[in-house]
Amino acid sequence: MANLDTALKDAMTIDGAIGAALVDYTSGMTLGVAGGTPEIDLTVAAAGNTDVVRAKMRTIEMLKLNDEIEDMLITLGGQYHIIRPLNGPNGKGLFLYLMLSKARSNLALARHQLRTIEEQLEL
Amino acid sequence: MSSGDTLLPRRTAKQPDLPPPVRLPPSLAGDPSLPYPAIGTELHELRLQIPGVQGSVLGGVDGLLITHDVPDTLDPDDLAAMAAATFGLGRQVSLRLGQGEFRQSTVRNQAGYFSVYAVGSHALLSVVGADAINVARLHLHAPPVAERLAKLLEPA
Repeated sequence: MANLDTALKDAMTIDGAIGAALVDYTSGMTLGVAGGTPEIDLTVAAAGNTDVVRAKMRTIEMLKLNDEIEDMLITLGGQYHIIRPLNGPNGKGLFLYLMLSKARSNLALARHQLRTIEEQLEL
Repeated sequence: MSSGDTLLPRRTAKQPDLPPPVRLPPSLAGDPSLPYPAIGTELHELRLQIPGVQGSVLGGVDGLLITHDVPDTLDPDDLAAMAAATFGLGRQVSLRLGQGEFRQSTVRNQAGYFSVYAVGSHALLSVVGADAINVARLHLHAPPVAERLAKLLEPA
């Protein structure tokens, strides 16, 4: 079991990681951030991606799929962004957000590692 | 001796090192020289840009309304007054803690938010938001709006 800081540090050890954050999508605020660059403000990313997560959840609800998001992948020209809502009993309303450099990362491995981090995260 | 006769020691509040009272300029409310259309655009844009914003009010720190962009269901004069009350509390807290100028205060209720942002040192921007509002986005978006409003309020 890992706490928040350990989980974010672990997320940053994933190959190609640029930044990671744990975000509350009821408010858009971050519970913790790691990495990032002077140009990339992870709190801005968190607030913006909160709207992405909410939109997708609403769509699933409207389609009456009776399912939930396991993870979301957004592919940019130079980056991958992975969003992973927390499923644990304490993780309700939270998601993990990971930014990866496309050139330096292994997407399948990163996705697997992020799942492990999410499963072990205890708040 | 009945318990009602017991005299409890009176406790007087500690006097903080208060700065000398500020001399405030005349109220901004009702000033015909303000650029109302530009201010109105800023408030309107805020509502358009952030889903969940129900309305916003620009008021003076004296609690008087300057202008607003709220639906009929909300009373802008009340909101301007409540913003000033919030500001008063924030200023007292800041004086005691020595944390400088009031910047922002948010009240979260069961069904929504009420946020107050400092606009320069003499005005306040208050925003009423639904419970579903992305409050982090509001906190990122509103301070630059407040900064632009402060510029608009500066005497030409």
